Amino acid sequence: MALPRAMDSSVSGTIFNVQGYSIHDGPGIRTTVFVQGCPLTCSWCQNPESQLRQPQIFFDRDKCQGCGKCVAVCAEAAISLVDGKSLTDRALCIGQGDCATVCPNDARSLIGRSATAAEIFEELSADAIFYRQSGGGVTISGGEPLAQPAFAREIFKRCKDAGFHTTLDTSGFAKWEVAKSVLDYVDLVLYDFKHMDAQSHKRLTGVSNELILDNAKRIHHELGIALWARVPIIPGHNDGPDNVAATARFIAEELSPEIPVNLNAYHPFGESKHERLGRANATFSTAPPSEARVAEIAAVFRAHGLTVAIGG
Amino acid sequence: MNNRLQQLLAKVVVDRYPICIEKLKLVLASLEASQGQPQILRRAKCIEAVLDQIPIFIDPGELIVGNAASQSMGLEIDAEYSNWSQTEIDLLKADGFSIAPEDEVALQALYQRYTPRTMVQAVGEFVGDDERLWPFMQSGVVLPPWTSKTGGSGGGYAQSGLGLGPGFYLMGVDIPAVIQGGLNKLIAEAEAELGALRFTEAGAPEKAVYLKSVILANKALLRFAGRFAALAADLAQVEADPVRKSELQQIAAACARVPAEPAQTFREAVQAFWFLFLLLNPSPTAAAGRFDQYMDPLYQRDLAAGRITRDEALELLACLRIKDMQLNRVSGANNRKKNAGLAKWHNWTIGGQTADGRDATNDITYLVLEAAQLTRIPHHTITLRVHQGTPEALMMKALEVVRTGLGMPAFVGDDSYIQFFVGNGVPLEEAREYILTGCLDANLPGKSRTAAIGMFIVPLVLEIFFNDGVDPKTGLRIGPPTGDLNRLHSYDEFVAAFKQHLAHFMALAAEKDNIELSVLRDSFPDPFRSALMQDGIKSGRDVLDRTMPFDNGAVLNPVGMINVADSLAVVKSLVYEQQHCSLAELRSALAADWTGYESLRTDCLAVPKYGNGKAYVDTIAADLYRFWAETTTSLPTIYGVVHQPTAISITSHQPGGALTGATPDGRFAHEILADGTVSPMQGADTQGPTRLLGSAMTIDQDPYQATLLNMKLHPSALKSENDLHKVSALIRTYFSQGGKHVQFNVVDRETLIDAQVRPEKHRNLSVRVAGYSAYFVQLGRGMQDEVIKRTEHTQC
Repeated sequence: MALPRAMDSSVSGTIFNVQGYSIHDGPGIRTTVFVQGCPLTCSWCQNPESQLRQPQIFFDRDKCQGCGKCVAVCAEAAISLVDGKSLTDRALCIGQGDCATVCPNDARSLIGRSATAAEIFEELSADAIFYRQSGGGVTISGGEPLAQPAFAREIFKRCKDAGFHTTLDTSGFAKWEVAKSVLDYVDLVLYDFKHMDAQSHKRLTGVSNELILDNAKRIHHELGIALWARVPIIPGHNDGPDNVAATARFIAEELSPEIPVNLNAYHPFGESKHERLGRANATFSTAPPSEARVAEIAAVFRAHGLTVAIGG
Repeated sequence: MNNRLQQLLAKVVVDRYPICIEKLKLVLASLEASQGQPQILRRAKCIEAVLDQIPIFIDPGELIVGNAASQSMGLEIDAEYSNWSQTEIDLLKADGFSIAPEDEVALQALYQRYTPRTMVQAVGEFVGDDERLWPFMQSGVVLPPWTSKTGGSGGGYAQSGLGLGPGFYLMGVDIPAVIQGGLNKLIAEAEAELGALRFTEAGAPEKAVYLKSVILANKALLRFAGRFAALAADLAQVEADPVRKSELQQIAAACARVPAEPAQTFREAVQAFWFLFLLLNPSPTAAAGRFDQYMDPLYQRDLAAGRITRDEALELLACLRIKDMQLNRVSGANNRKKNAGLAKWHNWTIGGQTADGRDATNDITYLVLEAAQLTRIPHHTITLRVHQGTPEALMMKALEVVRTGLGMPAFVGDDSYIQFFVGNGVPLEEAREYILTGCLDANLPGKSRTAAIGMFIVPLVLEIFFNDGVDPKTGLRIGPPTGDLNRLHSYDEFVAAFKQHLAHFMALAAEKDNIELSVLRDSFPDPFRSALMQDGIKSGRDVLDRTMPFDNGAVLNPVGMINVADSLAVVKSLVYEQQHCSLAELRSALAADWTGYESLRTDCLAVPKYGNGKAYVDTIAADLYRFWAETTTSLPTIYGVVHQPTAISITSHQPGGALTGATPDGRFAHEILADGTVSPMQGADTQGPTRLLGSAMTIDQDPYQATLLNMKLHPSALKSENDLHKVSALIRTYFSQGGKHVQFNVVDRETLIDAQVRPEKHRNLSVRVAGYSAYFVQLGRGMQDEVIKRTEHTQC
């Protein structure tokens, strides 16, 4: 008989935030770990700093006084002064972060850091008493947690051992074996349904949805892990009547009408972040859906026997 | 909201509050006539003069009657505290108050004719020539700084309410005794005691004077109620509208009965309460006690008998809120800074446990909250006592009220509050009956009272410590010489030296307290309040002239302790651990207000700050609070007991900050200090509410009579019922770990706009919309504007 494997404290990953009092990422009071790096490139992404795996520099042009301290300190010579403001060549930047340390005006900040699972777990443990009182726990979001499976698995495992409720917030885009290795320690999955049509899904996110839909079914039917559906509403991209109906049908029929559905209306909050990452060209623009339209969409889901919450 | 409430509400929203001198005229004439008589008797005669002669009126639509000043929304100039110079009156007018031109002239003439010795004069006589205390009074270490030996900090008080001022005590009288027993019973007891008195014992003559004063004052209140019974009957006679006519008749009947006799109905109980409350004012801290506990039995009786509906009870409680809006206070220009706005804390305590430990929630608990939700006016204050058995439904109702942006109720934890009393030897059953008086200080109704004097600015002591014991503003030595800072070889030595310095100032503050206590005792005996304390008749002594069953007469109250904790963490880290700078260098940086030391300031800001669950600095804060509590409880009061520690800042962190130079935590000179007492420095907490509470939990709060923690929430954190449950869990967790108080400010539009202008003060402000969360200050300008627009929307 194999001895239980000792906890591996060397497993590490890249994260960009640990957010306490997360109240919309599962039941109760939670702390959410946002990991960095995502195989999807959703054009509306509201956390674009999490798309790349490596740490990145956030730059606030308004705060930059053009002092040039960052130019001098950058070992990769990625920064130059243009029109009295510093400019980062993102192709050269490796996210070392020295420029953020020396910036006297808080114009530069480093997004993302590497940490071991043990360190993250310690940080998460600080709020243990709040998890217990509220029926909350820990959520790993991102980025895509399944893109750092060993890291996510190790954090979840430690949390389960400590008695914390665990939630995985995922796009579902991972090989089944990989997903399964993490799901061993997961109590609840928050699962995104972005588009039902494979072609459209690929156009919007860069990947096809077949694996995603297949994994959803297996999580529900094979593993029986609780699953909450999250559906972003992106006007002009996935809110057409056909897709709305297909999404509702899939959740109600291929999974179960018991699955709670959360509709999240697109909001252009991510845009200023795109700018600060030097990706102004990538800015995706559409107007947020009207409240009436969101209500109509909710009605379609309800017609399929689903319970729907809007926002949060 | 119905028409009546709208009509009454419209009357309490005024542009300019009138300053009146009717009460002052009556009081000064009475005091002039009674010169040479015992002080308590003179004060009883003042009550008589005011209650018999002040103009009375009933506003259209009123269900609860009793005007708080001679004019609608007026504030009566107060005779006891200090006089109003013409300069101070001019400043008042500039601040939006009005006074009739003839009254303005008459006021100074009244002072010319006869002025009683004011409290400020009496204190000034004590400290004015004292070489230790006078520099201390001027320093403002205890707010506000005195500017003249006869004028104190400048300006007197003008307040509404018909009882005796200046009302500086935090206390709860036995209100249920009046509602359930009636004043005739109390008067009869006093008369019997007086009749049985024989002048063969020491103190008997004083007791006789006391009892006579009690009888005079209480009979005057009965005549006052009688004036309203007659006025209401007269108005009913000429009233054309049959509905209003019947209301006036009902009012006349109620005023003819209460507060002389026990209230028979909920309506009468509310009217009796209001008459009593008018006499407990003027006071910014008059307390209603456990209102839901003593009112619910009358409500249930009426409900069962079909005499009242739930909506009618709600309307009465709404009327009572509106009445309380008529009780205001304003002070001199200097003091106005300490208590911003027309600050007052008329606290209604609801919820909690019964004496035998059961949950005390009842229908009135909910109705008091609903009346606030309905009227949306800031007074009276409501505090909800929370214990393990508090129903979640009540938490939900309370948080619904919080969500309206009223900032109330405040939540307090029964565990720690009760432990404060039990730790001081009070039996558990009695401790469970505690009430909130003033902002958050606990008292036992009828059994204890606290003088609300003295906000102690701890960072100012740190500044004086760095300045060799000399007050940099006055150049006067007020502390022992610190000596060469370089002799402090370790952090432990540094902290020990600072604590020694702090203890020196705490002892001075305690002396000041005792002087003020003795002045209060000798100048302001109060036969009305005194009779309504435990053994108020039998003891034969004024409430300020006896040691109470639980005596917490004097408190020492630290403000800005968190700035000092953050500052000590900087000294520990940068001076001793990293040896990044010397104490001398740090002192130069502070003296220069960081000019030329910008990079050192950046390093100071980078040291961990309280409010993020970081043990490095949290343990320093905990140690300081422990030291404060231990030192406070070693300092005696004139009541033969020791001072008690309490920690509430009200708005003192603003004037306290204005007096204080730069501090090692990176704060600039004259900048505001940390708000509350276990709240972090503004913007220093960046890790969210759980970590902030984690920091506060490291402080042992049980020895404190009160602590104060303010938290800001964006409306998006209070949207759904689920969100409210999570806030409830947050509160319950904090209280289960020894937390005393938490209050939520739903972030309003103004705060968000301020965050655009001064982002460094609002780094912790997080907003969450549609599955996306961000710190507000990190959003682009356009998105910030969007959130601001949305905030207005969410709040209405």
